Formats: sequence, C-alpha cells, structure tokens
Amino acid sequence: MSTNMKKTIVETSCMEDTAKYAYEMAVNAEPGQVYALIGDLGVGKTVFTKGFAEGLGIEEPVSSPTFTILQIYEEGRLPLYHFDVYRIEEPEEMEEVGFDDYIYGEGVCLIEWANRIEEILPEETIYVVIEKDLEKGMDYRKITVVKPE
Amino acid sequence: MRILAIEASGPVAGCALLEDGTLTAEYSVQYKKKHSQSLVPMLDEMKGMVDLDLSGIDFIAVTSGPGSFTGLRIGAATVKGLGLALDKPVLPVPTVDSLACNLFGTDRLICPLMDARRQQVYTGIYENREELKVLRPQCVVALSEIVEELNKLGREVVFLGDGVPVSEKALAETMQVPYLLAPAHLNRQRAASTAVRAAQLFEEKGEAALVSADDFRPEYLRVPQAERERGDKRNYKVFV
Repeated sequence: MSTNMKKTIVETSCMEDTAKYAYEMAVNAEPGQVYALIGDLGVGKTVFTKGFAEGLGIEEPVSSPTFTILQIYEEGRLPLYHFDVYRIEEPEEMEEVGFDDYIYGEGVCLIEWANRIEEILPEETIYVVIEKDLEKGMDYRKITVVKPE
Repeated sequence: MRILAIEASGPVAGCALLEDGTLTAEYSVQYKKKHSQSLVPMLDEMKGMVDLDLSGIDFIAVTSGPGSFTGLRIGAATVKGLGLALDKPVLPVPTVDSLACNLFGTDRLICPLMDARRQQVYTGIYENREELKVLRPQCVVALSEIVEELNKLGREVVFLGDGVPVSEKALAETMQVPYLLAPAHLNRQRAASTAVRAAQLFEEKGEAALVSADDFRPEYLRVPQAERERGDKRNYKVFV
C-alpha cells in the first residue's frame, strides 16, 4: 500500500466499552468511508456494529447479514451498508451484490469478515481488527484501528 | 414502428418513445433519487402525457450494459416486467454504443468514457458521420490504454460520459491529439439515443436483434476481480 497508515490501539474490558468506542467512531464517520471489521467468531464484531449503527442514529435492530450478505439502513445520519462476507468464497461473488456501487457511494460501509475479500477493498479502507487476549480476561478486547492518512 | 426505451445504466434515469422516426417523448432526470424509485413513475407520466397505449409498442429497448450494477438490474427488472406483462420482446443496446449515438455528423472519433471505478473506464471508439461505425467495441480498460490507442489513431476526438470529470486531468496530461468534451445535453446516457440505436439495429438485423423478456440479462463487462487485482494482494496482518 502506498499511503501512510495511522495505527491506534484501544483496549476495552467489556462489551459496553466496545460498543461505545464504535459509537464514537460512527459519530465522526464521513460519507464514502469503508470500515473493514475483522476478528474471529465471538470477538464482538456484532457488538461493535450495533454500537456503530447507534452512533449513526439508526434505531432499527441490527444483526449480521450472514445469509443476505448486505443489509442497508437509511434512516441514520448517513446510509449504512452493513456487509457480512463470511459466506463469500471468491471476491468475484461480491459483484452480484453490487459491491462497487456501495463502496464508492456516499454512505458508510461496514464489512464484517472483510479479510475474506481483501483484494477488492479500496485503498482508503479503515481496518478495525478486534482480538481477544485470554490472559487479560474473558471480556478483554484489543481493538486495532488502522486508517490511511 | 413504436419503440419504448428505458435508461437506468448510469446516473440518468429516463425513458423515451420513438414512433416512426419521431421522438414523441423523452423524460430524463440526473438526480440523486434512486432509479428504483423514479423510473416507473417517470414512465407513467410520459405515458399519460402522450396517451400511450403500451400494447401498441413493438419492443422495449434498454441499455444492457455496462454500467452500475444496481442501475443495470433496475433497468433489466423494469423491461422484463413490462415485456412479460405486455408480451413484447426486448432489444438490448450496448450502453457505450448508445452514448456514442448522442453525437452525429462529425468526422471526429467519438469516445464515450464511463466511470468503472478502480482506475478503469468503460469505453469504445466510434465514428458517426452518417451511421454508427464501431471501431473498438465496448470494453473495460485503464484510461491510459484508450488514450494510447487514440493517440495512435491520430484523429481528433470527442469525449462524453460520466467518466469525463474523473478523467479530465489525465486527458489533459496524456492526450496528444486535439479533443473536445461534449456539452451537458449530450454527455450522458439518453433513452432517446437508445431508441434511435435500437431502431437502427432492428433495421439491420430484424428479429435477431430481439430477445425475449424472460431471457434478457444485463452484461456487466467486468473483468474478474482476481485478474485485475493480481499482484496487489494485501494482508491486513502486516500492519496490525
């Protein structure tokens, strides 16, 4: 990657803190941004997403679109294009969802399991990687945010 | 011959009615409202305005691709729905060809540029002195590739399409032949051009130009991602 990347590490000790961090991120989100949400099963991607949606003013219930791939929320400050690409085998499959129309659009994209389609993520993608560290407790999470400058 | 044309492949939502060489109506909107919301109401308004009996049309023309994925599917769904309900066939018109038809009677080469994102354009090279000649069929390439070809051809060019604004700077820097940028009323897709092109195609090929509403599919013209991005494989783990 050619651009400079800025790395921020945040540590949370409970789900509420993770959700709160996501909320703040969404409050500052700008049209056209793409967030790649990466982490293992159970690490808190959905908790993060719910907090993020709330930060955009979305009151509808949010759950992972594991089977529909994409769920669109339009009642917030910005349209939210919530992707879950867990089931995607080949990046080419994303064409059928009209992927480019959303990532180059004026809303905010949040892509769970984005590591599965890394080849087609745009240059300016903001990576949000959530990891556990069991030595620091069951509820501890390390959130690494990497943003192009 | 009555041709109904639908446009949804790009930033313009539109419809047109061409009756025996007369453009009875054209409705064209380039506004943020989604085509899925605007297209059918526009068609309805146009129909009412000219007392159109839809059962009297011969076929439905549509820009069949390339274009935006959602736009193409909205156009396809609309013409398939209409075609199935009215029992009329569809005449698919390649999007870039339709764009080229916006211009006529010029010795210049006509080069539509549609923004395909990822530093690529949907484009082609045409002549339209008296009838449309396809010199390079529609394709998806890097802008530099089409510029190189135009420079080699050495003729003056007119560019049009939604890919022009993002390409303007690069064109200024790399085009070695004189060129023009088409003005606002000619630089985007028009259902009227699609209708006219459809009439030409029908005249040329007859029924061979038609496809059943059931069978009609858009043509996305995308190069498989894997081919495009090869050599650019990233791994987020590198910087976490």
